[in-house]
Amino acid sequence: MSGVAIVDYGINNVRSVKNAVEYCGFDPVVTHDADAIADASHVILPGVGAFGDAMSNIRARGIDEMLERHVREKGKPFLAVCLGMQLLANTSEEHADDGVAHRGLGWFDADVLRLMPNDPALKIPHMGWNMVAKERDHPILANIRESNLAFYFVHSFAMRCKDAGDVVGFAQYGQPVTAIIARDNIAATQFHPEKSQDTGIELMSNFLRWNP
Amino acid sequence: MLKKRLIPKFLLRDGRLVKYVRFFENERAAGNPVTTAKVYNDYGVDELIVLDIVPSAASRGRVVDIIERMSEEIFMPFTVGGGVKTLDDVNMLLRAGADKVSVNSEAVRRPEFLREAARTFGDQCMTVSIDYKKIGPNHASVFIDGGREHVALDPIEWAQRCEDLHCGEVLLGSIDRDGTMSGYDLDLIHKAASVLSVPLIVSGGCGSLQHAIDALEAGASAVAISSMFLFTDHSPIKLRSHLFSRGLDVRASSSSRN
Repeated sequence: MSGVAIVDYGINNVRSVKNAVEYCGFDPVVTHDADAIADASHVILPGVGAFGDAMSNIRARGIDEMLERHVREKGKPFLAVCLGMQLLANTSEEHADDGVAHRGLGWFDADVLRLMPNDPALKIPHMGWNMVAKERDHPILANIRESNLAFYFVHSFAMRCKDAGDVVGFAQYGQPVTAIIARDNIAATQFHPEKSQDTGIELMSNFLRWNP
Repeated sequence: MLKKRLIPKFLLRDGRLVKYVRFFENERAAGNPVTTAKVYNDYGVDELIVLDIVPSAASRGRVVDIIERMSEEIFMPFTVGGGVKTLDDVNMLLRAGADKVSVNSEAVRRPEFLREAARTFGDQCMTVSIDYKKIGPNHASVFIDGGREHVALDPIEWAQRCEDLHCGEVLLGSIDRDGTMSGYDLDLIHKAASVLSVPLIVSGGCGSLQHAIDALEAGASAVAISSMFLFTDHSPIKLRSHLFSRGLDVRASSSSRN
């Protein structure tokens, strides 16, 4: 097993994730090929775009089954980023105009809900640098001082976990915003570590050296 | 809560960094954009804006190359613009490594383009850039095509319209103050910030640490700065620690991050 699989499900901007993995000294491959994912030591599910389209692409390419087998059953270290994290929920109300929520992968007992900050002056999307307060420690946060946990967020929807034990950290934006979740070999961030300068690179580097 | 952002703004002409006063006067060469971006990255700026001010088919290739090189070593958000007219233009810049694409003239000429781009790539990807000039004691008007063409739009009303068209943020620039380092247009910033619900980045006039404080206190989410960083000894590091010590909610400086 070698290399880092960055899951390609037809979205735009995986370049910065790939560059960040290279910058950390690892060898990324952007792929939706079952063998490449089977072969990788670590798997990253990036995410920019709309929930419904992303899930359609993932199902159409059979990526849901590949991830089920290699991540959930075989326990490969897995990091999902931004929309990638939201895809791990049961449902999302993003663009669910007909009132029917989109179904996600359902790896976490959670739903993705529109951000509703309690202060009308707070703008949507939640875009920019925000602090993350830890609920607990996690290996991907190793050696990062708490005062340095500022990360770059861009999103209008956020995950709400039913099991509080899944949450590693929250940001505050007129409401608690689930920022990092983790269970077993799976970790996910709502923010973009690949856009969060030194601290983000440190987090990715921790992930790439993580062997749960 | 969200941190206020410090954003160097790069103007490119044929792939070189340049800077003017009031858009056209006193051209100064300001070096290599990739090298300068790396320095600013070490200084811990929050984001970069890169605008191609004389866009052409040839310069687009250079911009794509520059963004690709920046994104290999610099891990922060990039907003890129200049001559963006089609969904293909947006797509090309996003693929090169841009996180947000800035649209200016084409949004005025064809507002539905902004809506279409936001629907295709997400609201958060689309920044609308608005340049304006004072044309009377209490009256400002939008200028497009790099400040060459006057259009009969009030900058704040236009910004609100862009918000309705689903832009993710507004970059509002005063042509009168550009490069003058005489301070931001605080009245207009205050009015714009009080009516917009998307983040407001302001540009034009920053020449001192206090100017940045004034703009952020007037309601801006972010300050775009060019001349002050390029031509004075006020570095992003110095500005950040000054803002931090004055109690503004910015990221901790890199010196306190070690």
